[in-house]
Amino acid sequence: MPVNLTVNGRRHTLDIDPEMPLLWALREALDLTGTKYGCGIAQCGACTVLVDGTAIRSCVTPVSALDGQEVTTIEGLHPENRHVLQQAWIEEQVPQCGYCQSGQILAAAALLTAIPKPTDADIDSAMVGNLCRCGTYPRIRAAIKRAAGTGA
Amino acid sequence: MTIALERRSLLRAAGALVLGFAVPLPAPRHAAAQANPPVRPPMTGGAGTLTAYLAIAPDGAITLYSPTTEMGQGTWTGHVAIVADELGADPGRIAVENPHPAAPYRRDVGAGPAMGSGGSWGVRYWYQPLREAAARARVALVGVAAERLGVPAAELRAEDHHVVHAASGRRLAFGDLAAAAAQRPLPESAALRPAAELKLIGRGLPRIDIPAKTHGGTIYSIDLKLPGMVYAYARVSPVFRAELDRFDAASAKAVPGVLDVVAIPGGAAVVATSMWAAMRGGRALDIAWKPTPHDTTTSADITAAMKDGLAQPQGAVSRNDGDVDAALRAASRVVEADYEVPFLSHTPLEPWNINVRIDGDRLEIWAPTQNQDRLLNRVVRETGWDREKIRLHTMLQGGGFGRRLYEDIPSAAVIVARAVGRPVKMFWTREDEIGQGWGRPAQMARLRAALDAQGKVTGLWVRTAGTSMNRDFNNFQGDLDASSVQTLNDTRYRTGAYRVDYVRRQAPVPSMPWRSVGATQNGFFMESFLDEVAQAAGKDPVALRRELLAHDPRALRVVNTAAEKAGWGTPLPAGRARGFAFVESYGSLCAQVAEVSMENGRPRVHRVVVALDCGSQVLPDGVRSQVEGGVIQGISTAMGEKLEIAEGRVQNANFDGYHVLRTDEAPTLIETHVIESGERMGGVGEPPVPPITPALANAVSALVGRRIRKLPIADALG
Repeated sequence: MPVNLTVNGRRHTLDIDPEMPLLWALREALDLTGTKYGCGIAQCGACTVLVDGTAIRSCVTPVSALDGQEVTTIEGLHPENRHVLQQAWIEEQVPQCGYCQSGQILAAAALLTAIPKPTDADIDSAMVGNLCRCGTYPRIRAAIKRAAGTGA
Repeated sequence: MTIALERRSLLRAAGALVLGFAVPLPAPRHAAAQANPPVRPPMTGGAGTLTAYLAIAPDGAITLYSPTTEMGQGTWTGHVAIVADELGADPGRIAVENPHPAAPYRRDVGAGPAMGSGGSWGVRYWYQPLREAAARARVALVGVAAERLGVPAAELRAEDHHVVHAASGRRLAFGDLAAAAAQRPLPESAALRPAAELKLIGRGLPRIDIPAKTHGGTIYSIDLKLPGMVYAYARVSPVFRAELDRFDAASAKAVPGVLDVVAIPGGAAVVATSMWAAMRGGRALDIAWKPTPHDTTTSADITAAMKDGLAQPQGAVSRNDGDVDAALRAASRVVEADYEVPFLSHTPLEPWNINVRIDGDRLEIWAPTQNQDRLLNRVVRETGWDREKIRLHTMLQGGGFGRRLYEDIPSAAVIVARAVGRPVKMFWTREDEIGQGWGRPAQMARLRAALDAQGKVTGLWVRTAGTSMNRDFNNFQGDLDASSVQTLNDTRYRTGAYRVDYVRRQAPVPSMPWRSVGATQNGFFMESFLDEVAQAAGKDPVALRRELLAHDPRALRVVNTAAEKAGWGTPLPAGRARGFAFVESYGSLCAQVAEVSMENGRPRVHRVVVALDCGSQVLPDGVRSQVEGGVIQGISTAMGEKLEIAEGRVQNANFDGYHVLRTDEAPTLIETHVIESGERMGGVGEPPVPPITPALANAVSALVGRRIRKLPIADALG
């Protein structure tokens, strides 16, 4: 049974198992590999994408749950990859290995949509689900504040 | 050395300026920022440039063949800065690749030449060879320009990707000079630029790999897709080291998308049309393993074995200065304590995977490895493949921390590719990666210090016990594993009589080097114990370190810098304490002060002050980034990381049970003070890790009035 999926503004009809988690549909059916597999149980946040502007864990979200909704991946955050968060990430020289950073940036994007000027506590609660094994947390925090115009 | 001859034979046709040595195969190209995977046809031996470190194409594009794997530590950018500065090149026009293993990319730091990245060697080892290579290339370019312009070479300068004749205002582009320069013998040597001419080294350069990492453009090994590729999930025993008994392929083949089930060493590979299908098939697979001698082993058993090791009358002695027994007998007071750390997982966020493609007798491998020669050697050993017909592409990696020094059954991927006749991506899940072990070994230590009537330390005996990491990782058969006494063996502290020994007590959990290796646990043991000694002697912890380092101005400067910048000894808000530690590892000296409070029974790290003497630095912000990451990884281990072992297996093999530090518990303030002492350049990736754990534990001990002698701290607090 075909599944309808709208990703980064494009509508796709995919002949995949409706139970397939969105993560794998993105990576394997649509070749959008910026969304990462880290744990498969919604504990690390590497698979974070936006659904109608809200951050979700794509590794545990079946594609069948997303019909009619807008999925945004890291590849679609900004047409020229110059979203204010992406620029802040470069300014603050955030990534080390980079594997978690798509998820970090999208979680931060959802945060700034909901709370344009987040406090440290807001950042904690929005970003606590996104692990970074390299330990870039202080720089992520600084980049979110830079993007929000709240400085460090 | 026959560099010039080899060079001539290699490079004439390529039109590229090439430095260094013959490499038997064309090098792969993986520019850091490129969005497409570096898929190349299997090697043919025909087309392509052959190079060692550096090639300049006619359009001026420079390729830097870096011997170091980029795992996120930023070494590639350091190498670009070194080469660009010395050559006079635009760093933005330098792309970096890891070449196939060959002599120029192998380093020998005592165990024989091998291509690999570890020991925090990436910048400190290659700094000089890369600068010298770039300097010789610069002289060659200038030589060609001098002939073309009819001026003495001494009147020319290499800058901004050109050779410039300032007097006449004429400029020749590197790309226009490179082909001719490649036809001539390179100068045997060339003077390096004076320090005053360096614009990047010591000042910095934005990381070349960061922009792509902000938009999903980086292709990691797990992202690589080859035409016709199938996906193989390696189902291996959750009980360590168990051998396969049997499996029923039909149970997995019933899952949609599963194509085949192939026996591999230690288990079975479920081959499918997608990773997801392969994982589902793997879960559905009916498989059993043979019993092992450790089917009931628990963490408590492992601890008991280490305690037995501590109690042995004799250990393998690594250091024995003076008569420590006599010092302990004569002491006014003896301080003694046992310490323990658990098995840890590196758990880089990209799980292990490997891609292989077979074409006739040729084998191509794409892997997230930081140990290229070791991986190739293992494939050759286990499959019998002709090494000359294997091509290895090193991929950018989603974290390493030492984990990618080990290769998880790479031959299994070859077996599967042979069986199914298609390119294969073999992968492990998070549960496999944590559950198979291959992390830092658990270890215990017993420390005994002799104090005289004035509270001066007159003797120290450190006994460590536990798994020999090198036995697991390198098949080391001796009694004295150097990693189990690392940093203890060569401490700068002068404690009077001093003995260090070790008793091996091998656990079934496989172990290997984990970022900073033995320095992590031994730094925790020694630096925690010194706080106990200070307390017993009625001394300030930093004052005690100064006393033990009074003969060593370099170490004192590091200790004093951290103490002063942290305001050691100045009042703190109620409920806060500072903890101090100093550990030297990988050629760098590092002291740290952690400022901590307790919140809801858990430590809260407010501020960490770091003094690091790494001799000199290439990328100051890169150093800061490594310090921050190392400190946070160290805090993570102190706060909550350990492998829980029961029934011969890991019980907490995913992030719901294996607790990696999250942002809400990470310090927001990590201050790095780099001391450029001008001493030999030291490492940066690992040295920031060991001091933070004892600094944190020392602060917590002061706060709770009870000594933290076991990690993670959560366990010690009960």
